Amino acid sequence: MDDAAQNFRAIVERHQGRVYSIAFRIVGDAGAAEEVAQDVFLELHRSLDRLESDAHVTAWLRRVACHRATDALRRRAARGDAAAEEYQDGMGLRTPVREFMPLMNRIEQLLLTLPPAQRSVLLLRYQEDLEPEDIAIEMQMPLATVRSHLQRGVKLLREKAQRTLKEYSRG
Amino acid sequence: MVERMDEFEKELRDHLQARPAPAGFADGVMRRIEGRKPRRSWRFLWQPAWRWAAVAALVAMTVLGGLAREHQQRVAGERAREQVLLALRITGTTLNQVQHKVNEDQSPAEHHGHTIDLRP
Repeated sequence: MDDAAQNFRAIVERHQGRVYSIAFRIVGDAGAAEEVAQDVFLELHRSLDRLESDAHVTAWLRRVACHRATDALRRRAARGDAAAEEYQDGMGLRTPVREFMPLMNRIEQLLLTLPPAQRSVLLLRYQEDLEPEDIAIEMQMPLATVRSHLQRGVKLLREKAQRTLKEYSRG
Repeated sequence: MVERMDEFEKELRDHLQARPAPAGFADGVMRRIEGRKPRRSWRFLWQPAWRWAAVAALVAMTVLGGLAREHQQRVAGERAREQVLLALRITGTTLNQVQHKVNEDQSPAEHHGHTIDLRP
């Protein structure tokens, strides 16, 4: 393996968890998430000449991972993929989600019931620990939109979490 | 501005730590990159050095083309000038011959006219 390939492999190993997690938490499927994450790194390999620093690479990976995962989710929904539709119904956590996702934690399952744009913003805020201003810059989104997604997303998640907890305590 | 998080948000952050990628993920990415290499081989042409080389080659071709055209025009001009000079030389020679012939035709009469003595 030549130096360039070794350097690129080091970049993949450094960021693979971040990119895979974003893809997995937006798409909601391990196989699809792996494919999306690989595509993101292939795209990075083609664009690496234009990225000047590791900070640029990180920001680029976050943004492209969110966009590609959302695209994949839309494609699945367009194909009539039952699981993808179920995640997007926005009405709460249903049985099929639990059955399809045995390895997911409760918060991840609830996250899948939010609209994709809210998912992306919440992931950047709570997985990547970015401030709303940084999310607005990275996603090229107005700050007011980011704040709105955050407020609505957290509110929805809170309500769903409380409902789930009540259902759980009722048995 | 750093925004404060409530308990629920802190819990969200704790539950949404990055997951590890599946085993062999990096190997899969590198294999796909290797598989794409033949298609990527032309990409070097888009690197800045090659773009400048292409611009330089284009400029050189334009300049050389201009010089070659100028040289061709000069050669054609010299050839035309030589042809005009040749034509003028031929015309001059022909005129001289005609002049000579005219002179020859007129000479006996003039000579006769000069030799007749009309004095009583």
